[in-house]
Amino acid sequence: MTDPPLDPRFIERPDASLRTYYIIVSLLSGPGIFLALPPFMFRFYTLRYRFDDEGVWMSWGVIFKREIYLTYRRIQDIHVTRNLIHRWLDLSSVAIQTASGSAAAEMTIEGIRRPEALRDFLYQKMRGARGEPAPHVEDPADDEALVLLRQIRDDLAALRHRQEPRQ
Amino acid sequence: MNADSDPPTTPPERITERPTDRAARWFYRGLWRFLVDWLRVPEDRPSLPVEPGQFHSSFRPAEGFLRYLKFGFWIGLTLFDGILAITLIVIYVASPIVGLIVTLPMLILMILPDIVAYVAIHLRFDTTWYVMTDRSLRLRRGIWSIHEVTITFENVQNVKVTQGPLQRWFGIATVVVETAGGGGTNADPHHAGHHGMIEGISNAEEIRDLILRRLQHSRSAGLGDEAHLALRPTPGFSPDHVAVLREIREHVRALAMS
Repeated sequence: MTDPPLDPRFIERPDASLRTYYIIVSLLSGPGIFLALPPFMFRFYTLRYRFDDEGVWMSWGVIFKREIYLTYRRIQDIHVTRNLIHRWLDLSSVAIQTASGSAAAEMTIEGIRRPEALRDFLYQKMRGARGEPAPHVEDPADDEALVLLRQIRDDLAALRHRQEPRQ
Repeated sequence: MNADSDPPTTPPERITERPTDRAARWFYRGLWRFLVDWLRVPEDRPSLPVEPGQFHSSFRPAEGFLRYLKFGFWIGLTLFDGILAITLIVIYVASPIVGLIVTLPMLILMILPDIVAYVAIHLRFDTTWYVMTDRSLRLRRGIWSIHEVTITFENVQNVKVTQGPLQRWFGIATVVVETAGGGGTNADPHHAGHHGMIEGISNAEEIRDLILRRLQHSRSAGLGDEAHLALRPTPGFSPDHVAVLREIREHVRALAMS
């Protein structure tokens, strides 16, 4: 754990080992390699990421282009899946869920080295991971309605005091 | 393996001798080394980043979960090996020569999958980890494919506890934590999104209450509401307002009476 903290803002492209991973997966499909490899390669060469302060954007595709943007605060759960090949290549697939209707993950970030660092980065940005400001931060002096009511009360009290001695 | 960690059915091949016990332990430890070194199974328990002094606990399913899994294993083993044994007897009756030839493969088929399954149960139990902090939950399971879910309590919509009759017998239950969003429950319960399963724990009620207490602290609906919106004062009167209004009424009444 001597690595410097990961700064995902510098991540734009998946790591080259993702290509190795795709090739291995295609090889494992046996004769299906001719069907499986081209989409994987298209995906690898067109995959782009952008992590900004508010959210993460990704796009891929040659013929059918796809783009997703989601904000960190909308993340519901983070799923990190690491199969055997992933672990050998030090990769992982980080799936991010938002509160949409589908069971499948909205965004699957693949090909990032040191997935733990990415996961922790996303976790820190997630709602509820760090202390939200305390619910009662509000200063009573800022409540305009209450201030007005108090003034009315004080004026009425003064009025009453002025009236009472006259009786 | 002491007696009470075994399933209630009397297993026919129970190992009680010390040397075999030790051998099993050595075998298991060697297997772990292989998993850690070659299959890159993480050896350490998962954790969540917390500030010092905050609540952090990582735990595993209860012993009862292991017994529950093994119970299923013994049932399967009895059925599987029973069918194979009957087949073997039928073959013997039909033709003793063929029976002799197939005896060895049959025996291997009867024993080998059982060993693999038994070890797999132990590995499954030992690689399942649950982590809880004040703010979030992390669940990790799996050997070939390691799956890890992180959910903050802020996003949790509901908490379910399920327990079947067999699980009740073994004193375990499953706590399911669900976040907003649909689908998934009927696909693959372990890997589908929008929920986390804390499987096979003995203190399910306690865990559920712990999570619910965390949920009650949260003021948002758990749908990605921004903090400043969730914390904006609700329109209407607070107790302070009401108190001042009462005083005003007293003054006005006194003035009206005079």
